[in-house]
Amino acid sequence: MAIQSKKNLVAIVDDDDLMRSALQGMLRSVGVASETFAAAEEFLTSGQQHQAGCLIADIRMPGMSGLELQAKLNAENCRIPIIFITAHGDEKMRMQALRAGAVEFLAKPFDAEILLESVRAALEI
Amino acid sequence: MGTQNKSKRSPLAASAAIRYGLALVSVGAAAGLAQLFLDFHLPLAFTAFALSAIAATFWYGGTKPGILAVVLAALVRSYLFDPGISGIARVLYDLVFLVFALLMAMLTRARDSLEVRVKERTAELTRANDELRLEIADRVRAEEALRESQAELARITRVTTMGELTASLAHEVNQPIAAAITDANTCLRWLTRDQPDLEEAREAAARVVRDAARASDIIKRIRSLFKKELAQRELVDVNEMVRGMIELLRSEATRHTIAMRAELTEDLPPITGDRVQLQQVLMNLMMNSIEAMKDVQGTRELTVKSQPGQDRELLISIRDTGVGLPPQADQIFNSFFTTKHDGTGMGLRISRSIVESHGGRLWAADNPPRGASFSFTLPRKTDPHE
Repeated sequence: MAIQSKKNLVAIVDDDDLMRSALQGMLRSVGVASETFAAAEEFLTSGQQHQAGCLIADIRMPGMSGLELQAKLNAENCRIPIIFITAHGDEKMRMQALRAGAVEFLAKPFDAEILLESVRAALEI
Repeated sequence: MGTQNKSKRSPLAASAAIRYGLALVSVGAAAGLAQLFLDFHLPLAFTAFALSAIAATFWYGGTKPGILAVVLAALVRSYLFDPGISGIARVLYDLVFLVFALLMAMLTRARDSLEVRVKERTAELTRANDELRLEIADRVRAEEALRESQAELARITRVTTMGELTASLAHEVNQPIAAAITDANTCLRWLTRDQPDLEEAREAAARVVRDAARASDIIKRIRSLFKKELAQRELVDVNEMVRGMIELLRSEATRHTIAMRAELTEDLPPITGDRVQLQQVLMNLMMNSIEAMKDVQGTRELTVKSQPGQDRELLISIRDTGVGLPPQADQIFNSFFTTKHDGTGMGLRISRSIVESHGGRLWAADNPPRGASFSFTLPRKTDPHE
């Protein structure tokens, strides 16, 4: 069984199904594989945080929020690069996320190129 | 008859010279006059004049000058008018003067103490008056504060409702739109490769359709929030609702010196409707009118009128003397159209939706010479669509 290469898999965490499939389709068009999760809890129990090369997450979700997820990952010393995309992007939230180590913080609707650039940078490809 | 005197009624204020001088002058005048009357065989003339002199001196000159007057009068009488009378008679005459002097002394003392009391009472009243004035000022300030907080409440209610509505609308619709943009971009990316992948492009395009359909569903759902089932509606007395709204907004209107008038036709039949929504419409229209009149010169009058309309409808109109309709008058009911720099642009749009969901119409017109009027109808039977 081949171990999924850490460098090439992107994890997507968003409660909105349309956004999940849109992101997955977008990444596929540039040859990047991805796995989607409907909730932060699902992602944590999957163990993917130790295998995926990058995480794209929404902030406002029922249950655990994106920022809470970030805090949990930091607590576990998990170094996965996080890119936040959110419908509610206020400056305070942006600062908080970036200070806690996020790679990028984008507001919906986002510029696909910018998102892809961030993903490429995170995966170092 | 009596003595002449011209000094003021303030024994302490006048100088001593005047006061004692008064004794001399008045007794002298009494003697002079008596002398005149003697020719008419009126021996008691001096006594009468002397008593007047004594009275005047006590009253206007004070106690001590009064005593001087008594002494002088007695002397004058003794030596000028009745030099030959017996000792007993003289004593009796003197006694008359003395008794009278005593009476006068008591009278003037009573007057003086009365004056003191009057002064004290006046001071008390002035103090009470000042305190009252302070209280009134405090009361006015408290009223002003109350009015301000009422206005704030009305404003916040309005903004919160509109704000919440707008925010939730924006957020909900944003999601599928962001997804649609991503999917459309993906589709383009598949098509602009050296080797376009049509299957992938088709899938991406299909996703765009699905995303847009989701956005449309959301809008439909929000719109349906304005339509309620018949069962949730109640009987609404429109006049009572208007009066309530006038009261709620009275402080806001007063703040901008706007007069509010109600021309309500009595005994209008109640209509079936959603009270909260209709209040929202009233508040929206009335607040708009208030805003329009805030900065105008001249009359500032907001009139709400209710009357029966055609066909068992009720017709409610809100007229103002404000800046009037904007040049793009036909666009004011569009979403996001606003003439305010902090306006959401949803007010009239939502108001029209509410009225239409009740089966009525909402329209605007000019209110010459200056101002606008907004009118809406509410049919007695709800929503003919149901």
